[in-house]
Amino acid sequence: MSRRARMVLLALGLAGAVVVLAVGVLGLPAFGGHRHPYRDLAVAASFRHATANAVSAVNFDQRALDTFGEETILVASVAGVAALLRPVRRERRRQVDPEMPVMDSTRLLTAVFFPVTLLIGIDVVAHGAITPGGGFQGGVVLATGLHLLYVGGRYRLLERMRPLPLFEITEAAGLVSFIAIGLAGLAVAGHLFSNVVPQGRMGQLTSAGTVGLLSCAVGMAVVSSVVILLAGFLDQALALEEEPAAGQWDGREGAAR
Amino acid sequence: MPSADTAGQLLPLLVIIPVLAAAVLVGVGQRLPGRLVGAGTMMVAVVVGGGGTAALIITGRRRIVSWLGDWRPGGSGTGVGIALQADQLSIGLALLAATLMIIALGFSWHYFRAPGSHFHALMLFFLAGMTGFALAGDIFTMFVFFEMMGVAAYALTGLKVEDPSAVQGAINFGIVNSVAAYLSLIGIGMVYAHTGELNLAELSRSLAGDHSTFVVIAFVLLSTGFLVKAAVVPFHFWLDDAHAVAPTPVCVLFSGVMVELGLYGVLRVYRIGFAATSVAAGIDRVLLVLGAATAVLAAVMCLLQRHLKRLLAYSTIAHMGMFLVALSVGDPESLAGIALFVLGHAAVKGALFLCAGILLDRFGSVDEFTLWGAGQRLRGWDGVGVRSIFLLAALGLAGLPPFAAGLGKSLAETAMTEAGAAWGPPFMIIISALTGGAVLRVWLRVAVGAGRKPEGIEAEGMSGDEELMEVDVGEDIPNRMIISAGALVVIGCALGLVPSIAARATVAADRFLDADGYVAAVLHGRIGYPPVAGPVPSGWDLHGVLLSCLTVAAACAVAALAVLRHRLPGGLRPPEVVRRPVRLLRRVHSGRVGDYVVWLLIGVGVTAAILAPA
Repeated sequence: MSRRARMVLLALGLAGAVVVLAVGVLGLPAFGGHRHPYRDLAVAASFRHATANAVSAVNFDQRALDTFGEETILVASVAGVAALLRPVRRERRRQVDPEMPVMDSTRLLTAVFFPVTLLIGIDVVAHGAITPGGGFQGGVVLATGLHLLYVGGRYRLLERMRPLPLFEITEAAGLVSFIAIGLAGLAVAGHLFSNVVPQGRMGQLTSAGTVGLLSCAVGMAVVSSVVILLAGFLDQALALEEEPAAGQWDGREGAAR
Repeated sequence: MPSADTAGQLLPLLVIIPVLAAAVLVGVGQRLPGRLVGAGTMMVAVVVGGGGTAALIITGRRRIVSWLGDWRPGGSGTGVGIALQADQLSIGLALLAATLMIIALGFSWHYFRAPGSHFHALMLFFLAGMTGFALAGDIFTMFVFFEMMGVAAYALTGLKVEDPSAVQGAINFGIVNSVAAYLSLIGIGMVYAHTGELNLAELSRSLAGDHSTFVVIAFVLLSTGFLVKAAVVPFHFWLDDAHAVAPTPVCVLFSGVMVELGLYGVLRVYRIGFAATSVAAGIDRVLLVLGAATAVLAAVMCLLQRHLKRLLAYSTIAHMGMFLVALSVGDPESLAGIALFVLGHAAVKGALFLCAGILLDRFGSVDEFTLWGAGQRLRGWDGVGVRSIFLLAALGLAGLPPFAAGLGKSLAETAMTEAGAAWGPPFMIIISALTGGAVLRVWLRVAVGAGRKPEGIEAEGMSGDEELMEVDVGEDIPNRMIISAGALVVIGCALGLVPSIAARATVAADRFLDADGYVAAVLHGRIGYPPVAGPVPSGWDLHGVLLSCLTVAAACAVAALAVLRHRLPGGLRPPEVVRRPVRLLRRVHSGRVGDYVVWLLIGVGVTAAILAPA
């Protein structure tokens, strides 16, 4: 197709899509209305199970199957990335320069914020049932916190802090525990994902029954998934290179160091 | 209200079990011996298939409804929870997915040793996604499982990473499907903002009588993801790139059930949620226009291919076009015919893909020209087996009695005629003859070495010579490969012979279309079916057999014409008037993902324009 034909088609497509989206958006209920049928039901349901964070109640209690699906999507994506990023025959590993030159201020900030970020991550996961947050958010905070080490130039330390075979196991264990809690509901109350754990008093750390436990299971899977994912990409970018053809030196190896 | 419905309580396990097994493979699969991984995966697929069979038997008498966590709606009939629902059609699709999975795993026994257990884990995630999608009774849950099957499918497509075109195909597939998924999510958001509900049964009530344009827009956006999966023109561009590079056993699942699930998604959402809205006025028009475009375009593209897997991929798209066209007239008999057609198509198309896989592993090519006469180099029983499976599957695809594909097609044709669409049977016959003819042409060239050895082998980049082998099978074709392909042909034939299967399919279709029954079952626990009234079709009749034989004869004629074209006098070659649009068609399928996304946007606009009330 010629460039002009492409442009005409693009204009047609965008025009159609804009009209469709505009008509759709104009038909939406006005901003700030008072009719919220699902919110009214969901908040009441969240109170019934002593869950202070209604969003977590929706995610982990009322619609736990969707969250199970989303966690599975994440784990499946990581399995997919691992399958696609595996070193192929033409690639080989090289030694990554362990300590990159990093400014002292960056080093200092990393040293301060590394433990703080990890603590906040754990806090967000653990308090998913009673404060804003939960397994997904806290898991991402934890995983990115760990990668502050890379920003601070400590790639070696990062590699030591994340033994990948172990993280593969914790990732799977997160998903397996989510399913196990769901199956416990099936065994005890006769319905998958029933909230069968005593729900305590609203606002306490131990309230909300299965919500906190499922949040922790998701947190475990998410932190491991993101770490494995980033490790795969970092590895691809830093540690793998194309094998130079035999008897031929293309100079790239020297340049890369 | 049933307080202890065991079937309902156990239904979600069909989704949970494969994910649990896949999680184990992700965690410790690398440390397990390969045999155990293969056997365990196969066992899980068999368990899901067994559960699906049990559920199918139960759904013959009543629906199965499962409210997760017992978040059943209260007296108002509006709730916060998620429901799964199984009727004969939805559990039938889930069972089809499990059956094809078992056969694909059998075919690929010992495949992909290098990537460890990733292949098996991804296959199980894929199975869970398809099962969950078929059973979901909630538009957001449908979306979640749609994404789950997508993620697994993209990775499975690109599994042969040594081959740059595999990665390219996976990227095209991933990007086009993801863009469509965003649009679907916007559509879901619109429906939710409008009604405050996501459950299909609840939507059925609250959207009833809503004749606004807004509902049409929300439906179009919501359907975009499903239409892309269903490879409906102009949403179809990803499909041939993905099928060309995906491992053969994965193609069996893509063509046999994943693509059909896209169409199921549109039908499910429309028939339950949107049946009493402004969408109803134009939906048949949309199915007819998009379906006819899909069938014609894909049939022509199918004839043009020499890459065997690409050819089969376009044949699948052409069949989707036929499904859509038939569904646009003559409910519920059309739907019954299409349901059987889908089953029969899955069997014979799967067998053809497996034959392509055997040829690829044996000769390192799936190019029709390169493989000319190669079938005769397959000596002994192996050769006889592959040649006859290929031939039978090709004839079955064209509609040969008693294959289920032919029976389904014949039922759909009868339904179309009875609904007053006299053009229906000729249309179905022409499209079937063209795509069946293309496959038979490959058989004539590859298995028999008919005609002259084709010229111009180097001329095209789209040949199937670059395709990487999947596994080195050595001198002999492993029995498991021939048995898997043969089993599919036997299943495809046997389904057409099951007594009163046409009547059963009609009853199942009737129940699928019964929105009131669905709502009563999901919201109020009245899970029994109302009695089915009306006449039920008898299955093969003389008229159907004759028309099917005509289709097969026409397909043979198309194939013979293609192979022996060089013997014809020059005047019978295609004139310039035909060749120019064909060249344009080829150029439109550019392989560039940017073009594909533009076509997707055009498709959204066109669908909305056809569907919007005049």
